Amino acid sequence: MIRSPNPFAQEPRYELITRVLRSNIQRGNLPEGLVLLEGPIAAVMQTSRVPVQSALRHLMAEGLVHRFEGRGYLVGPEGRNILPVRRDIREFALDIPEAMDDALQTRGTWRHVYEEVEEQVASCQIFGEFRIIETELSEYLGVSRTVARDVLARLQERGLIRKSATSHWIAGPLTARTVREKFELRSIMEPAALRLAAPFIRYAEVENLLEMIDSGSMISSESLSDALMDFCIAQAPNTTLVEMIRGNRLLLSSVNRALTALGLPNDEATIDQYRTLLDLIARHPIDSAAEYLRDHVEIMAQRNLARMKIVAVITEAGAFAPYLALQ
Amino acid sequence: MPQPPAPLASPPRLHQRRLRVRGTSITLLSQVRERAEADLGFSVDYELLDFPTCQRRAAMEPEGYDVYEQCFHNLDIVWFWGALQPIDIDRITLWGSISDLAKQGGISKYAWRGHGDAPVRKLYVQPGGFLGPKPSRYISMLPTVHNMDSFGYDPAVFGMSETVRPSWSWLLDKRAKGRIGLMDEPAIGFFDAALAAEAAGELQFADICNMTIEEINALMALLEDRRRQGYFCGAWRDGDQAARLVRDAHIAVQSMWSPVYGQLGPHPGDFIEAAPVEGYRAWHGGASLSRHLGGAALDMAYEYLNWWLGGYAGAVMARQGYYISTPDRSRAHLSPQEWAYWYDGAPAAKDLRGPAGEWVVRAGARRAGGSYRERASRIAIWNTVMDEYNYAARAWDRFILRVNSGRQAEEGAA
Repeated sequence: MIRSPNPFAQEPRYELITRVLRSNIQRGNLPEGLVLLEGPIAAVMQTSRVPVQSALRHLMAEGLVHRFEGRGYLVGPEGRNILPVRRDIREFALDIPEAMDDALQTRGTWRHVYEEVEEQVASCQIFGEFRIIETELSEYLGVSRTVARDVLARLQERGLIRKSATSHWIAGPLTARTVREKFELRSIMEPAALRLAAPFIRYAEVENLLEMIDSGSMISSESLSDALMDFCIAQAPNTTLVEMIRGNRLLLSSVNRALTALGLPNDEATIDQYRTLLDLIARHPIDSAAEYLRDHVEIMAQRNLARMKIVAVITEAGAFAPYLALQ
Repeated sequence: MPQPPAPLASPPRLHQRRLRVRGTSITLLSQVRERAEADLGFSVDYELLDFPTCQRRAAMEPEGYDVYEQCFHNLDIVWFWGALQPIDIDRITLWGSISDLAKQGGISKYAWRGHGDAPVRKLYVQPGGFLGPKPSRYISMLPTVHNMDSFGYDPAVFGMSETVRPSWSWLLDKRAKGRIGLMDEPAIGFFDAALAAEAAGELQFADICNMTIEEINALMALLEDRRRQGYFCGAWRDGDQAARLVRDAHIAVQSMWSPVYGQLGPHPGDFIEAAPVEGYRAWHGGASLSRHLGGAALDMAYEYLNWWLGGYAGAVMARQGYYISTPDRSRAHLSPQEWAYWYDGAPAAKDLRGPAGEWVVRAGARRAGGSYRERASRIAIWNTVMDEYNYAARAWDRFILRVNSGRQAEEGAA
């Protein structure tokens, strides 16, 4: 069999969807004010909703779409009082390059399906300990056992699953202790990385974020957290450190997203803190920003521990994918 | 220019003012509601739910109620969900009369403080929306009813002489095997079982109210082992179920709440309340305001909260064995004999009635554990939602399910 030379075949799905939506917005194929909903986009792209959610979050951080009072996102930048246009995305002639479309259809590589599995595996852990059944996973994803194994290997590498003594793949349980330890690591590593990053921080983007906050944009604390990572902390020239920080954050952020999806209230109280932090980064010596970041991470730890308690109210019914078996 | 009033086709319908209260069987008594309506001049609608349901719906559907009556430990769920709004103590006229147990964490300097979350640790709203003991103008929940819980036991099993010292370890005692009942709420029953495991010398916890995963696993393994051996005969969720278990399953020892003793009928001599040597598991209840309240509805809610402290409600609570945060106000609403029995721990001078008029105490009986001061000085732990609550509650719920399905299987066979 000859492998396709398709350059997109190895890219994660959310990245492909982000590209398609970005170029269609920039070319004006998707008009300002159009309400973008996960479901219809997922149908057009023939994927699940998980990568669409990530793509929309990325586009929001880029200022191409924004949140509004209703469900979904509006095309166009925030703060111009753009009125929502509720039409089905399928009515618009979306430009999807053939190679991209092929890549979206391909089910042959692990990269492609990885993000979806990661989300599911991370989020189930709040409910307890799970066994991952390999045959069910390949069936669920419509991929070969080899691809399913590649996905599992990657999950293990990122610390999301482990092998039991009986050679079963195990995920979870996510406990308050895990959360506390991960935040402790954050408060050690992230301020250090921020100091190293000082000369390389993307200050224009930071200013842009400050403007968005000040103009009253409905930007979520989650996108601010992502932006802080991408534009500031991850600019540190020590790539090993940045990798460690990303790995450490992974479980926390996917659990956070899962909890919000399960109906927990969004944590909006921290927007002010992000504002102060970004302001310190942009206009003051980096040490003050690093100190503030450490305090901020400690407060976030307390908030997250409080959030972990309230999860107890949510019932498990129907909350996880079929390849996950509660132990 | 103002319009002249339009002629009326029919007399104006008065908009009926109503206050919606969501809560549990602890405080949602018709005797309280009827008197509140008469005193306040508006309707009070009760929505009575079991503990877990009440807590879930209070967190997730705050539009469904105006006032939420529950326990302080529950604020870890409902407050952090963002379902409630702070109470301004400047609008609570009797704030100064509320007892130190709620505001300081103990009735005196010398009283046991108890492990876990004394209500004061969840009382005041702190910067950033956290709750803590540092006084501020705003509180999360108005402290009202409270008690020190223990268990009830059959003296034919454990002995009735003066020298018998009831211990939480009895909940795991071989003598009671097959006749042990538990309470199913994870922030409550779980701690009864933990106290039992420690008192029996089976396990030791570094901090019983903030256990580690290993400690939780050890406790659950111990309980599962006893369950397999057939120690437990059931778990209850409300007072009716608790009373039914005592009557039908011939319980030897069971986690209990005060009002259930009154429900057991005229001869409760074969099932008596314990004053455990290790001390009590205490809880404190109160009333909170829903996030959505504002304007006239908020004023009504404050009227109702103030009314609760005024004395009448506290007297109704006393007749089911619960204490109130403003006891001096309730004294005027109790007969001297009632006050002497419920608060002073004196022998009942005559038969006493419960909230609904039923006889609950025989003349000559004496409340286990003595007076309010004695009981409140012996608090071992407070009901607490610990850091690993999500993990512990799920493990506990699975265990209770197995306990109860064992019971159902037995009933089916019989």
